[in-house]
Amino acid sequence: MLIDDNEVDLKINSKIINLSKLFDEIITCLSGDEALAYLNKHADDEQSLPDFILLDIQMPEMDGFDFMEIFKKFPEKLKNKCLIAMLSSTLDFGDIKKAEANPYVIKLLKKPLFPKELEDVLNKYLEA
Amino acid sequence: MPTIRVLYIDDEENNLNAFKAGFRRQYEIYTAISAAEGLKILENVVLHVIIADQKMPQTTGVEFFKSIAKTHPDPVRILLTGYTDIEALADAINHGDIYRYITKPWNDLELHNSIKNAYDAYKAKIDLREKVSELEKTNDELNRFIYSISHELRAPLVSAMGVINVVKMEGLYDSCGEYWSLIETCSNKLDYYIQKTLQYYKNNKIASENTLVNFEKLIPELINLYSYTDKDTHFHVDIKQDSDFYGDAFRIEVILGNLISNAIKYQKEGEGDKKVNIIIEVKNNAAEIVISDNGMGILNEHLEKIFTQFFKIKTNHGTGLGLFIVKEALNKINGKITVSSDLSEGTAFKITIPNGK
Repeated sequence: MLIDDNEVDLKINSKIINLSKLFDEIITCLSGDEALAYLNKHADDEQSLPDFILLDIQMPEMDGFDFMEIFKKFPEKLKNKCLIAMLSSTLDFGDIKKAEANPYVIKLLKKPLFPKELEDVLNKYLEA
Repeated sequence: MPTIRVLYIDDEENNLNAFKAGFRRQYEIYTAISAAEGLKILENVVLHVIIADQKMPQTTGVEFFKSIAKTHPDPVRILLTGYTDIEALADAINHGDIYRYITKPWNDLELHNSIKNAYDAYKAKIDLREKVSELEKTNDELNRFIYSISHELRAPLVSAMGVINVVKMEGLYDSCGEYWSLIETCSNKLDYYIQKTLQYYKNNKIASENTLVNFEKLIPELINLYSYTDKDTHFHVDIKQDSDFYGDAFRIEVILGNLISNAIKYQKEGEGDKKVNIIIEVKNNAAEIVISDNGMGILNEHLEKIFTQFFKIKTNHGTGLGLFIVKEALNKINGKITVSSDLSEGTAFKITIPNGK
């Protein structure tokens, strides 16, 4: 699942993930709200839940950190299934530290997304 | 001349009247027969200068000034006192925040000058406060501006770089001559400028803070970060650490990052065996770091200038910022850097950073 308010980035990153054949299906969301609505709707349907979420930090209204605040209230089962990496073009020290400190964020990836980096993270955290 | 508002407090009606008669043409005058009355006026009028007689029943002048120290710090205070009140004077100077004292009976010219000077002091105080708040605002805006650069300006650039990635993955990179590669070069350069600008800004802005620095971990991370464009370079890293090292992690990262990235970038053309050596020795008082390469080297006449802002040479594609930032960052943490270079051998930078243990 990709969450990003920037349509260009959504398009590029979907393409990169498609081309690198790392996932079978991609769900794109233009806002944190949209993503939360999806997760809520499919909370009991493990098949529809994403294995991996790439979350942009800077978004209007609900930013990546706001999203995490709500995400952490989901049931353990869902949180274990959906691993989250943040994705941002930020160079801001505070943002980087904050992302690294969040217990549910496995990694802060930097834009532009390199397939190699994504693959490394997946190999490390996603088994099979 | 703006209107100067003066409050005069004295328990002797005659003095109040004399004061009014003598100064009413020059100032906007308020008078009060006691401290309590003075306070009432003070609470309703923005005053510039307060003159109070020391010897008053109930509340003395100094006591009055003390009582309004917190609530009305701005008006400038003048104390009127008889010749013999040494104790009152000492007390006034020590606790009353008094600008001047005038002996009784006053001399009109002296009092007039004192009021004028007191008003100037008042104005200077208010001006300074306005300047400070203006500065704080500017600083705040600058901070937000820098944050916008780090995001708003960089985000679309990074999207463009993402497009280039997709083009590469789809095998289209060479499909229209060298255009894609030109776009990529420009994008990378712009990104580099943005990153250096931020580094420079942060170096100036952020206070130095010492934390435990683990070179064993830091160096491979930096090599990894900067060598993704060039996988052919061989790194030789040798770290000898007898003691813990405490330093400014952010600046050390900036310094070593810039030097390592330079060592990778400025290779000899056609060199088959590109080498970068990083030797670190941590001692009790300092860390000594040598970063050397077998790259293109630096001309002798350029060695002195390489640390100046925007110095660059024709034959390579630097920004003239990297080494300047290295030097600036070292200045902040009392570090030293020396360089030796030879066009055939390559370049070696030697850095000493004090251990903040």
